[in-house]
Amino acid sequence: MTDFDDIYNRYAPQIYRICMGYTNNSEQAKDLVQETFIGIWKGLPAFRQQSHIGTWIFRIATNNCLRAMEVARRMPQSDLPFDLAEQREESPEEKLVFLYRCIGELEETDRIIISLVLEDLPQAQIAEIIGLSNVNVRVKVHRIKEKLAKKFKAYGQFN
Amino acid sequence: MDNLTDLKAIWQTAKTDSLPSAAETRALVKKFRRQRLRKKWMVIFASSVMVIIMAGMMFVEHSKMITTQIGGLLIISAGTVLAATNIRSLRRFYALDDVSNFEFLAFIEQTRLNQLYFYKKTQLVIFMLTSVGLLFSLYEPFSKHPLKSAVLLITCTIWLLFSFLVMRPRAYKKNAAALNAMKERLEKISKQLSDQAMPEDHQI
Repeated sequence: MTDFDDIYNRYAPQIYRICMGYTNNSEQAKDLVQETFIGIWKGLPAFRQQSHIGTWIFRIATNNCLRAMEVARRMPQSDLPFDLAEQREESPEEKLVFLYRCIGELEETDRIIISLVLEDLPQAQIAEIIGLSNVNVRVKVHRIKEKLAKKFKAYGQFN
Repeated sequence: MDNLTDLKAIWQTAKTDSLPSAAETRALVKKFRRQRLRKKWMVIFASSVMVIIMAGMMFVEHSKMITTQIGGLLIISAGTVLAATNIRSLRRFYALDDVSNFEFLAFIEQTRLNQLYFYKKTQLVIFMLTSVGLLFSLYEPFSKHPLKSAVLLITCTIWLLFSFLVMRPRAYKKNAAALNAMKERLEKISKQLSDQAMPEDHQI
């Protein structure tokens, strides 16, 4: 097994979940995973280990998300998912769909930050990936949690 | 929010078994890794070939008229400018290393500005050099064999006018729309990242 295979097996599911959080679309998320691994394949020989490899990989993945114009055109623009009240379900799949939809209503960078938080990355690593200070990221995470909490409260989810 | 742990648990339930295997991805990556920059490499190759052919012709033919030599030099200059622009662009992409989202957005914005400059200025210069160079080069054969060369000269002139008056504005309009859409998107995302935290928000 090559290094690439090891990296793929370890990080592909995480990258896919992050891309799903960003796009809320399985096919687009898979395309972004593929784009990410094209970047990893090209950059791996020159990777100088100045940062943790995970940080480097998540940077490539999130940069691809931010660049994806097609995704941006298809994402919903409204602030709150008003149509979600009709779709309250308690099964794990429905909860996941609801979570993706709520995240999909956030701003682009908020979607990335909360996806990294949900992947259990430390805030310092998230700050390094995005290029903001730890304090800024902490504040943003706090605000995103508040936004999500409002959405969940409004629709009586996950209480 | 005290149910972040619940959210993480829900987040982890996403099914990832539809992802291709590592071997399948490796095959895909090998197939597509050069695709994005292939166009630039092809332009560099084509313009280099054009420069070499033109230089070779000038060296072999020993034209008597100064117009032919000027034409040749202008076409060589156009090819050199085109190749150099694309080489510089490729170097930027290859030099892009381990950068954060914030730095990446700055890189994309610079790329957008470079593209805009290319469409507005560089492309115009290349087009003018090539057009004038081509017409100058054709003047010598035209003066020797007016009937035979007339068709070629007229065809070239029509094609150049069509390219300049029809094709270029169309291509510019299409690219400008895409670049403007990218600009709006970059501004929106950059604004999100540059929003500074208020001091009172630090209390979490």
